[in-house]
Amino acid sequence: MATVDIKKFQVNLNPTWCPGCGDYGLLRGLQTALAKLDLDPSEIVIVSGIGCSSNLPHFIKAYGYHSLHGRALPTAQGVKMVNPRLTVIAAGGDGDGYGIGVGHLVHACRRNIDITYIVMDNQIYGLTTGQTSPTSDVGSKTKTSPDGNYEYPLNPILLAISSGATFVARTFSGEPEHMADIIVKAIQHKGFALIDDISPCVTYNKKNTYQWFKERVYKLEDIGHDPYDINQAIQRATEWEDKIPIGIFYINPDKPSYDQLDPVIREGGMFAKPEITEDEKKEILNQFL
Amino acid sequence: MKELIKGNEALAEAAIIAGCRHYFGYPITPQNEITAYMAKRMPEVGGVFVQAESEVASINMVFGAAAAGVRVMTTTSSPGFSLMQEGVSYLAAAHLPCVLANIMRGGPGLGNIAGSQGDYFQAVKGGGHGDYRLIVLTPAYVQEMIDFTILAFDLADKYLIPVLILTDGIVGQMVEPAEFPKDYKPNFYDKSWALTGAKGRPKNVVRTLWLDDYGVENNNIKLQQKYARIKAEFVMYEEFMTEDAEVILVAYGTPARICKAITKKLRNEGYKVGTFRLQSAFPFPEYRLMELALEKHVKGFLVVEMSAGQMVEDVRLSVRDYKPVNFYGRMGGVLPEERKIIEYTLDMLKGKVEVN
Ligand SMILES: Cc1ncc(C[n+]2csc(CCOP(=O)(O)OP(=O)(O)O)c2C)c(N)n1
Ligand code: SF4
Repeated sequence: MATVDIKKFQVNLNPTWCPGCGDYGLLRGLQTALAKLDLDPSEIVIVSGIGCSSNLPHFIKAYGYHSLHGRALPTAQGVKMVNPRLTVIAAGGDGDGYGIGVGHLVHACRRNIDITYIVMDNQIYGLTTGQTSPTSDVGSKTKTSPDGNYEYPLNPILLAISSGATFVARTFSGEPEHMADIIVKAIQHKGFALIDDISPCVTYNKKNTYQWFKERVYKLEDIGHDPYDINQAIQRATEWEDKIPIGIFYINPDKPSYDQLDPVIREGGMFAKPEITEDEKKEILNQFL
Repeated sequence: MKELIKGNEALAEAAIIAGCRHYFGYPITPQNEITAYMAKRMPEVGGVFVQAESEVASINMVFGAAAAGVRVMTTTSSPGFSLMQEGVSYLAAAHLPCVLANIMRGGPGLGNIAGSQGDYFQAVKGGGHGDYRLIVLTPAYVQEMIDFTILAFDLADKYLIPVLILTDGIVGQMVEPAEFPKDYKPNFYDKSWALTGAKGRPKNVVRTLWLDDYGVENNNIKLQQKYARIKAEFVMYEEFMTEDAEVILVAYGTPARICKAITKKLRNEGYKVGTFRLQSAFPFPEYRLMELALEKHVKGFLVVEMSAGQMVEDVRLSVRDYKPVNFYGRMGGVLPEERKIIEYTLDMLKGKVEVN
């Protein structure tokens, strides 16, 4: 693979994440993807919620908005609706996006607005020092389930597909190159894209470690998975524990995105600059004479 | 026997002593120890702990459990309490007893996780919509985290009202000697209004909506009568060396501890200083403050807060214009400086009307 120059997206601030945190892999993968897309930092807005992972906008060169816990998606949609020409990326953790903010996820999927949403899924609450999350495995011991978790986790892939998302994928922070390729496709996709990134918390999640995942992950493209077939997608989405698929589960190229349907946003939104004709130019300049 | 206990854990264990067997919470610093403690402890005492999916869920689980007639609690810190406000208004409107705690941190917005007192208005003046009040208790010591929490459950059931424990993150995080009461027996009140299944009796309905013209006004009148009764029957404060004080420092929570230490120090140097420490913010000790204001020996009050000045408004409303009320505060999780408090106090002792 040709190397790309990610310098354009680097900042002089070292991430505050613990050494080995999966979020470094995501940062690298995202920077690589943005470089591959040949985007300029001025064309990108990254909106996050609250959590370790949600500190992402500080560590990448692009416009950033560090919003409220669980509210990355409504905030990101607000940005996109004002200026649909921007590449809007929402990001955060599993607690943020699948817990407190899950209602917004369902509606963003349904609306199929052209945003890429990346969830750094570590199956734990990292920033608040290790509580159960909506994706914690049954039996996981955490600060709030000292005897092992007995709530069943939600399945973000199935949730997104059934809610109407038109691009649904899983990446692994241990595979940043593979991840970068998927992020490229997600951003190019016109419509709502969810990327559930397996991003191990090396400090608080003692079960779902890099090693645990390395023994289990396989790539959907290696087994001839057809992402345009919703039934195959749903079937693959149910796999966990023994074998864990990464790659693109589902693409629906046929459903128009919200920003293609809304009569104002479709034309470029409120800030779209209309083409100025030569006559109009003259007229404006004449006012100064 | 006293043991070393952390403020947050003291509050949690006290709730269990008070007979609370239902706790719903959502992680947020600096109160995570309460959630973690309850996760471990509730199953041991036959109670239920649920980590909710958000503070909106926690407060509404509290709503349901309170309506079902049990002692129930949720705890949080500033941003989380903001998120709960809709539920708090409904709980108050429905006359439901429950205990809430806000272990305040720096705000507004995400702010930081350092102790702060920026949520006084939210706690005491409303926060949610409509004409309602909470009983607001303001512990400053780990011992009070225990005593006030136990008291809170009793007051909640007695008056059918949500009771809020309002303190700063420093008190929540502090470890100091304290003692749990031995042989405490919770006084469980009659809750024949609760939703316990209507077999053999007319059904109970918990509601905050009335469709007739005066239903909501009537409920408001009931609420106001209840608040008047509470104000007549209950208020808590501590006075420290105020008997002959010329300048009285007024504070609650951590700043009150600083004020008491300064009072002692200045007394040793011969200055007549005292501290008035709020232990309840609603009801507010307005009567006693006015009494003090009318004392000849009192030159004025210096209110110290970890905020831009919130509680000071209630002090001013209490003493009106009888004596000067000055204010000194730091915001965003920063402690008021002892040096400054002393400087302003000495200025006031010298007869200066306006300091700071
Ligand atoms: C309204 C509100 N409630 C609670 C919090 C406390 N809080 C901060 S981050 C977080 C969850 C962190 O977990 P996750 O979203 O999975 O991100 P991670 O830290 O694991 O990357 C919580 C509960 C908050 N900031 N705001
Ligand atoms: S606590 Fe976990 S999620 Fe947070 S930075 Fe450390 S490793 Fe990453």
